[in-house]
Amino acid sequence: MTGDDDEPLDPELRDAARAYHEPPEVPRETLWTRIQLRRAAEPSAAPGDSPGTRVAARSPRFLVWGAGIAALLALGVGIGRLSVHVRPPLRADATPVAAAPARDDAAYRLAAAEHLGQAEAFLTLFRASVREGHRERLAPAAARQLLATNRLLLDSPAATDPRLRFLLQDLELVLAEIAQLAPERRHEDLKLITDGLDRDGMLVRLRAAVPAGTGAVLRKGVL
Amino acid sequence: MDDRHLISRVQAGDASAERELYDTHVERVYRLVYRLAGDADQAQDYTQETFIRAFGRLGEFRGEAALGTWICSIAVSVALNGLRRGKRLRTREVALDEAATAATPDRAAEPDLRDRLARAIDALPEGYRVVFLMHDVEGYTHEEIGRTLGVQTGTSKAQLSRARARLRRALADFARG
Repeated sequence: MTGDDDEPLDPELRDAARAYHEPPEVPRETLWTRIQLRRAAEPSAAPGDSPGTRVAARSPRFLVWGAGIAALLALGVGIGRLSVHVRPPLRADATPVAAAPARDDAAYRLAAAEHLGQAEAFLTLFRASVREGHRERLAPAAARQLLATNRLLLDSPAATDPRLRFLLQDLELVLAEIAQLAPERRHEDLKLITDGLDRDGMLVRLRAAVPAGTGAVLRKGVL
Repeated sequence: MDDRHLISRVQAGDASAERELYDTHVERVYRLVYRLAGDADQAQDYTQETFIRAFGRLGEFRGEAALGTWICSIAVSVALNGLRRGKRLRTREVALDEAATAATPDRAAEPDLRDRLARAIDALPEGYRVVFLMHDVEGYTHEEIGRTLGVQTGTSKAQLSRARARLRRALADFARG
């Protein structure tokens, strides 16, 4: 403290003041995940005093899940477009176009990488929220959206890679559990799911599968 | 690392620079907004909003103050706006609660020093409270407070002095022993 020429408080009062709203340890990873999710979902939002920002300040936790759902919807639509785009015409005399498979494979790999990045962010936030004792009533809705995208990818050429297929299959089980969370058994189920996440190393596998920079690509709206 | 260099890396889309910026400043931001809000959920919300705004407005940073000071000024603005909104909502709720519990006697005859001080800090005018918490509790200098809040250093000193005087008056019986 410098530049203070006023008489300071008595030591007893000063110590008591330091106990006022004493901050706990900073939840760095949870916060970072929330920030990333918001930024991924709102790439062009100018964060001023817009109505959207005001809503965010009133119910940010709701918005985090909502933003996640919106991002996942966008990703799902993107994959849907790819599916439509690459489906070959059902003609007996059709001849394959030599350059198309390589380009389509790359597109599917990109879609898969972004999906895994979203799943990793979602599960990280989900696990952190459960550990902090929050009742994430909107998590099942986000999980259902991820599940839909996951199934699209399992049916796509991306799943011809056996490692990716196994990862998507394992991810499907976790997402299905979260999607089906029942309100009356929520507490026990949440613990089973988060224990399972730790036991199976799902987050580590997802992180290993997501190439660096995928988040930046998603923010730029590739899909 | 130089703020300018870090900012240019963030603006070029370098994800590790974003994380570096976050890691450098999150502790200070979270502590400050927690002191103001006193609630973990609100502190997380305000911290999140602060960094969303900071990343979105990095192009507006002119370098007139340190990057940390600029981010803290966003944090204070976000937190105070959020708290004002919450206060307006609570005022309506409290009016209803008070009507329902008007006959309930005081729950504590002699609260301890921390409780009394906490109430006295809560009762300070907003400007006094922010300066007091930043200076006497979180250890900011008057120069930092002035740049963060956009006020003169002398104003910060005057508000701190008045805040301390009010707290001394509110807790005079403790001081007398």
